[in-house]
Amino acid sequence: MTTMSTTTPATTPAAPAPAPSATGRARRGLPPGLWQAAGPAAVFVVLFAVTAALQPAILSGVGPINLTTQATAVLLVALGQAAVLHVGSIDLSNAAAAVLGAMVLALALGPLAAAAPLVTLLVMALVGAVNGLLVAFTQVPSFALTLGTLGVLQAASLVVSDNTTVYASANGEVVSWLFIQAFAGLPVAFWFAVVVAVLFWLVLRRTSLGQALTAVGLNETAAVFSGLRTRWLKVAAFSFSGVMAGAAGICIISQAGAASSFGLGSDLLLPGIAAALIGGTAITGGRTNPVGVVFGALTVALIPITATALGVTPQARSLVYGVVVIAAVALTASRARGAVVK
Amino acid sequence: MSAPEVVRVSAPTPPSSPAPSVTTPPALSLTGVTKSFGPVHALRGVSLQLGRGEVLGLIGENGAGKSTLLKVLSGVHEPDSGALEVNGKPVRLRSPEDAARAGVGIVHQEQSLLTNLSVAENIAMTSGSRAKAATRFGVYRWGHLNRVAAQVLARIGVDVDPRTTVGDLSFVDRQMVEIARALQVDTGAHASPVLILDEPTSLLERDETAVLEREIRSLREIGSVVFVSHRLDEVMRICDRVVVMRHGEVVGDRRTSEVTEDELFRLMVGRDSRATPRERRSREDGGTAVLQVEGLTRGHAFRDVSFSVPAGTTTAIVGTNGSGREEVVRAVFGAEPFSSGALRVAGKDVGSWSVASAVRAGVAYIPSERRVEGMVGGLSAAENLVLTHPGEATRGPLLRPRARRKVAETWFEDLDVRPRQPDLALERFSGGNQQKVVLAKWLSSPDLKVLVLDHPLRGLDPGASETVNAQIRAACARGTAVVLLPDTLEEALELGDEIIVMRDGEVTARFDTSRETPTALDLLEKMV
Repeated sequence: MTTMSTTTPATTPAAPAPAPSATGRARRGLPPGLWQAAGPAAVFVVLFAVTAALQPAILSGVGPINLTTQATAVLLVALGQAAVLHVGSIDLSNAAAAVLGAMVLALALGPLAAAAPLVTLLVMALVGAVNGLLVAFTQVPSFALTLGTLGVLQAASLVVSDNTTVYASANGEVVSWLFIQAFAGLPVAFWFAVVVAVLFWLVLRRTSLGQALTAVGLNETAAVFSGLRTRWLKVAAFSFSGVMAGAAGICIISQAGAASSFGLGSDLLLPGIAAALIGGTAITGGRTNPVGVVFGALTVALIPITATALGVTPQARSLVYGVVVIAAVALTASRARGAVVK
Repeated sequence: MSAPEVVRVSAPTPPSSPAPSVTTPPALSLTGVTKSFGPVHALRGVSLQLGRGEVLGLIGENGAGKSTLLKVLSGVHEPDSGALEVNGKPVRLRSPEDAARAGVGIVHQEQSLLTNLSVAENIAMTSGSRAKAATRFGVYRWGHLNRVAAQVLARIGVDVDPRTTVGDLSFVDRQMVEIARALQVDTGAHASPVLILDEPTSLLERDETAVLEREIRSLREIGSVVFVSHRLDEVMRICDRVVVMRHGEVVGDRRTSEVTEDELFRLMVGRDSRATPRERRSREDGGTAVLQVEGLTRGHAFRDVSFSVPAGTTTAIVGTNGSGREEVVRAVFGAEPFSSGALRVAGKDVGSWSVASAVRAGVAYIPSERRVEGMVGGLSAAENLVLTHPGEATRGPLLRPRARRKVAETWFEDLDVRPRQPDLALERFSGGNQQKVVLAKWLSSPDLKVLVLDHPLRGLDPGASETVNAQIRAACARGTAVVLLPDTLEEALELGDEIIVMRDGEVTARFDTSRETPTALDLLEKMV
């Protein structure tokens, strides 16, 4: 708070004397950055403690496995969403892409066996890249554009599946181990997602690519004027979101062995956005903590369990979900940009 | 204090008071108004009077205090001392609403209409009309609204349907709607409103200006006008009287019938304005031109602009608002398109030109809109510094925060950036220090060929200006070609090896300062 006192004196000369309102914004409470880093974890820990107090069973046996299994696909799409939010856009098509990815994998497993997951990720990267290219070069706002591709991808899923369920008829063991094998008591798939989050964190904080992505999200005009290739950076973010949707598709097949337009994974969109936001991602762009998103996804997966523990009837569960999401976002949202809310 | 020509000797009037006149108090009267921003004295005892039905010109260079004066008159700033009277009544204007209530309306330099609403809605949306019930129970009274708007428009003789969407109007019509809206402030309470027009013609084409001029002259019938402009010929045509400001003071108050444009120039710029002696580089032995611009054209924005900048020299481009100089330099940086003409950097013809390719070719640009275009406020100063040319601060794809900090610390020391905290978000530094960091971002380029500076000293305090100026000169001395859009003519005369004057999108004059010594007057003559 007091660090600024040395820089404030010179009110500008010359004509218009710009309004000083923007400079003297008060900052109070915790050191900046600490809550942003620890907030999502704290929210999860508190909610988990409450739940455990009400229903100690979730601490033992399959409790943690169920929670992380539920959280894995949400976490993957949320990481993709966070990357897109980070450059100031939004990807509404990622859940539809995940379902399509699951179908692509189910169909590819037979002929391609172990190469099928890789092909799935590549195809989904392409889907994401198309999203990114359209956003970057047609200047259609990402909200509208990905709403459109959401429809296109849903239709594609219906066509591919012929409006039924696509089963991974052969080589299911290529992916099924992801949720069978465990490490430290939790499914390997979850750990993979956590590793992706950590790598994403490293890219954002430790590479020039990450810095450029941050610059685009914070001030796209200034990024352009600094000579950054902002369009390709957006394409990169959307491609990553596509890859993450593909990874979520792999999880769907690994868990269910089949995919349909209305089955597992078809409702990932809103949980994915909620997990990204509870994870402290600023919807205005430029502020993302992928490690926070891990706790965001865990929180999202925990809410239904907490609701059950609280004795909430199934009909009212989405009420609890809504309230917790609002409260969690209110607690963890990045407010570094003052009053700007999108 | 008060301008003597305004004091009217009244006919025999009964009141025994010794006051000069009570019959027609001036529409607006300022006495000894001062206003300071920290150490900067923007207004130093300004006194002026505006008679009823008078069109008063207000001129002065950038930084002369015009804008501050207008802000005082429109209630944005309260004066530190001094008195304001409107129609003979003392007033305190603490907000634009106060000003509107007192009968003072302002039309700003940038149009402030909401282009997606109708003319009537825009006119109704002023504070003064709130009392006039544009709505009933929160619902728009369209018939009433359109009628009132039509009346106001008719009053100033504008033929525009109040139901038209503002975005569909021509620029002149929009300007007239602005005026109508400003007049709307007082139709109820005041028979004789005061209208302030802040450079209403600066963005207009010449022929459009003529229409607006006629309209402004006819406003005399219903009120008084303060007209701010940089175009002296226009001021001479439109105004009855001109007040000249310099350094926060009124330095001249003349009837237009008794003054020449030349005299106004001199009053505005100051008598002793001449190029300060500085070692001039002869443009001839500068060798190859680093930047060559040939016949650059884009529609009405700029036409057939050519110039070349040899290594180690500075080309200053001067011109008023709307001269097209900003657009030209932005086109040079790839930030705006051009339709024809050629651009060569270091002898190489540029192909498809974008900011990214300009940056790779060694062109740097310091924008006038620093906060929006020049810096990523949320990143730290150090991160901003290395954003374009990472150099030491990265190894391969990886950032090296410690090396970055070291690079930044060196620059902070060289440019005296305060506070010495490179890891602080850049948005938390003061304007001058932000500008130093933005400059350092480009100066750290290993291959800086062309430095384009769009008002690099705008809003900087003297100390920061000096530092930035010294750095620009040093870069120039190292062989960088500099294109400068200066804030003042003095800046152009001091720094420019060549000075190009633009008006209405075209080059009207060029001066090679190594061979001739133009004065500010010479430049102004070609600008207006």
